[in-house]
Amino acid sequence: MTLTAADTEQPPAAAASRPRRGLSDTARAYLLNAPAMIVIGLLVAYPIGYSFWLSLHRYNLKLPALERFVWFQNYLSLVSDPVFLSSLRVTVAFVVVVLGMTVILGTALALVLNETFLGRGVLRSLVLLPWAMPGVVNGLMWRTIFDAKTGALNGLLLQLGLIDSYQAWLTSPTGAFLITAFAQVWNTLPFTVIILLAGLSTIPSEQYDAAKVDRAGVVQRFTQVTLPWLLHPLLIVLILETMNAFRAFDTIYVLTGGGPGDATNVIAVLNVRTVLTYTDFGLGSAYSWVITIVTLVISIGYISTLYQRGRIEV
Amino acid sequence: MTPETSFSRRRVLQLGALTASLPALSSVLAACGGGGDSSGAVKFSGWDYESALVQANVDRFVQLNPGVPVEYTPITSSQYVQKTVAEFTGGGGPDALYVYDDSLAGWVAAEYLQPLDGLPGVDEVYAGIYPSNAEAMTVDGKRYGLPYYTDTQCLIYNEAILAKAGISAPPKTLDELEQQSQRIKDAGILEFPIGLTAQLQDTWQAWVWGLVYASGGDMFDEAGNPVMDGTDPTAREVLAWLQRAATVSRVIDPAVLQLLPVPLDDAMKAERYAFTIGARYALRDYNDPARSQTAGNLKIAYIPSLDGSATGTVSTTRMYALSKDTEVQDKAFQLLTYLGGFTDGQPYTAKYWFQKKGLGFPFKALEQDPEVQAGIATFADPEIYSGLADAARPRTVVKQPWYSEYENEQQKTVQQILNNQTSPDDAVRSLSAAVASLKQKYS
Amino acid sequence: MTRKVVLYTLAIGFALYLVVPFYWIVNMSFMHEADAASVPPHFLPDNPTPENYLSFANPSAKEALVGSNAVADTPYAVLNSLVVAFSTAVVNLVLGTFAAYSFSRIRFRGSQVLLIVYLLTRMVPGIAIIIPFYLVMRTLDLLDTYGALILSYTTFALPITIWILKDYFRTVPRELEDAARVDRCGWFRMMWTVFLPISAPGLVAAAIFSFMTAWNEFMFALFMTSTISSQTIPVIAANFATDVETQVTLMAAAGVLAVVPPLVLVLICQRLIVQGMAAGSVKG
Repeated sequence: MTLTAADTEQPPAAAASRPRRGLSDTARAYLLNAPAMIVIGLLVAYPIGYSFWLSLHRYNLKLPALERFVWFQNYLSLVSDPVFLSSLRVTVAFVVVVLGMTVILGTALALVLNETFLGRGVLRSLVLLPWAMPGVVNGLMWRTIFDAKTGALNGLLLQLGLIDSYQAWLTSPTGAFLITAFAQVWNTLPFTVIILLAGLSTIPSEQYDAAKVDRAGVVQRFTQVTLPWLLHPLLIVLILETMNAFRAFDTIYVLTGGGPGDATNVIAVLNVRTVLTYTDFGLGSAYSWVITIVTLVISIGYISTLYQRGRIEV
Repeated sequence: MTPETSFSRRRVLQLGALTASLPALSSVLAACGGGGDSSGAVKFSGWDYESALVQANVDRFVQLNPGVPVEYTPITSSQYVQKTVAEFTGGGGPDALYVYDDSLAGWVAAEYLQPLDGLPGVDEVYAGIYPSNAEAMTVDGKRYGLPYYTDTQCLIYNEAILAKAGISAPPKTLDELEQQSQRIKDAGILEFPIGLTAQLQDTWQAWVWGLVYASGGDMFDEAGNPVMDGTDPTAREVLAWLQRAATVSRVIDPAVLQLLPVPLDDAMKAERYAFTIGARYALRDYNDPARSQTAGNLKIAYIPSLDGSATGTVSTTRMYALSKDTEVQDKAFQLLTYLGGFTDGQPYTAKYWFQKKGLGFPFKALEQDPEVQAGIATFADPEIYSGLADAARPRTVVKQPWYSEYENEQQKTVQQILNNQTSPDDAVRSLSAAVASLKQKYS
Repeated sequence: MTRKVVLYTLAIGFALYLVVPFYWIVNMSFMHEADAASVPPHFLPDNPTPENYLSFANPSAKEALVGSNAVADTPYAVLNSLVVAFSTAVVNLVLGTFAAYSFSRIRFRGSQVLLIVYLLTRMVPGIAIIIPFYLVMRTLDLLDTYGALILSYTTFALPITIWILKDYFRTVPRELEDAARVDRCGWFRMMWTVFLPISAPGLVAAAIFSFMTAWNEFMFALFMTSTISSQTIPVIAANFATDVETQVTLMAAAGVLAVVPPLVLVLICQRLIVQGMAAGSVKG
């Protein structure tokens, strides 16, 4: 999947060579899209629209008498809502750390996998392992690893002589934050690597040969040949992983429940709690739309910064 | 790119506004489709504590009442409240269900439940239970529940570990609790003698309330105004003690921040802690030789207080309630009566739970029941057991619509006290401020 | 030479990073409960036992210790997950193929907006739509059935499926279609006999993506289901976390069971997945 120039600049001669059978191309295209549009439209469009509508209401199930339309008041109140603001800080930090680690680890891993070496097939298979792990199970797994009493990490570090006694890793704010980010990265890395690897696999080998002739060093070859080809897949990774990181819930919920204190209270966890525990549907929907709009704006940001040159296409 | 996308976003927003008119349509559809459950079974749901035993008891009810089929659905405890809210909001709620005292007022306000006043047998039940339970199940003067079980918080200590450290009697004050723990620690028996559950949860952190109530204090007055920052210093002093015990004398395990109730139970049964604060019924499990390495050593005591003079604790009530929109009200109430009321003059199910799992009984008369008395004696000192029941108070603040938000704030604050991220003064101040802003939000 | 050293060091480092966490729960799943809590930990089971796995087949032996039905439910939950994930993948491919074909072959008004709208539906957090979605499912009388989950996950995965497929379809040479048309093949016949077989890698990549989306999802599974007739493995795994008297070894075994089926699947299709995703990157 990728964002390519061709989406708007339709394939040359595409429609032209097609014999018409009474239907215009546009009609035919929408006919082909109809099944997908119907399913998405029927099942999601209404819930999405409804949630936006709710976000314009003061609507807590516990206070049905106070329900009313308040325009954008829920959104405006966020500016001075300490719970939301602290959660936003945590979320931004979480997204930045997760994205940073994902991009660095993912790129390095994809570059390694693109080389030829003994055992490459094995590593290519191993990289898919975390993908197969449901977020809930991922959270449980890291819990047992970082456990303060019986955890594998404590045992390992103690045996290596790096710590004197077992540590409660998840109890300090920084520790809990980094561990949840780490667990999230581990879980989502495979998809990143696949996309990047797919991108690397399309680089024509002549380009490397040409670079070799020019006696370009490893670094030069990376910046001159590899990186330009990776920009596109990296863009997709950034968009998808930003979406994922903003919505990360399962792993965090199982691992820390949002604590200690506010340390891992990312907006997705706060959002679920607001809707289902506090039954504040109005405010909860506003949180959701903030996530949506922020994700959208960031996606647009990525596309426009990475594709400054020339025409920008989606 | 930018112009196109912002355009498309506007489009979507317009679409959203358009589709918002659909609720009417879908509620019409829902009305057509939801013409009642054709089977006529009573849909009964509860959190999944011992769901096999619940099913067995429900099966017995169905056998006795062949005309009342029951569809029992256990829901995972950690998501029970959330899932039930989703079901009622989506129009698919059960007919009869478990309710936490924590959720009751909110669910009444959300119009999920109907009052039971005037239904046959309800007055008798309310006359037979402890006043604290009756109070917990009443909202705005109306009765909404029949009791499932009640319990109070208590200090649980491992007598064998205390004896090893040369301690013969459990602590009466919090300072004694700290000193005894220090002795156990110094003797090299346990590094951290006190275990608690302090991971964030969507249920209440009972022991925090237990500690404050034990010293005769409260976080709130009767009207739901915060006093923890003003007239009542108990909460601040309890927090100060917690912080000292966790960070100075280090007798509270730092790992409690990631401890949930079930792992704590395991740790108590494996002698990894000498003290905890928990519900009385936990002792039944802790002292069951089939399930605990240290059965017989775990004892009940009053929760230590700040000055040793007060005895108090917090009680909780779990109840059965009737959905407002049930279409099988009579049958559902029949089930409710079997579960939370009297069968042939006896609170059958309450006694069943006490005998099977040691769950505290809400019916005063059971105190005199010889079988129950014998049952208590197997896992706890009967005098302290009933003394706790007499001393226990329910939380009044659960009736406030913002209670669940407050509870979450309090849990986070306790975590910050335990890992030294805030001071007791700041903690009570921020809790009080949180209440003020919640009140404003809900006004 | 240094290059080789760096390469192999990195490769081994990554291999450990990927495998060791999972190895730890596999290791625990073959332990006795007492060994799992030992200090220092056993990095190999001292006396390995299949007991945890066997208890899924014969839960009554564990029932005395385990309060909830999670153990008995685990095998059924894996089965439910398989059915749901597989069906989601199939439905997605069918719907996605039609839509993706239009984007890859036809120039039409609004194509760009439509693509973004598809993607936008994925940017709204699930929690925002879960209650109205519940209402829709209830109206359709699909609660606690596979149908509710398959429909949910189809809407989750469809946007990305369409993006993956449209990119792959674009790499299929147009001449093939024209040739088929000369042979007077109908469009469906052409798709079935010529176009789709060539697009196999793209289809596999999209199918796996949909499968994983369905396999891993937790919250909708929790809310749309209520009994083991449709509950999937993440829901049951969550029960292990909170409700079951924590036998960590049993939990570990359930975790392994939750990972193995999709793992086998991706290992089989490994090559095709990368190939299928690669198409998108070949662009003008």
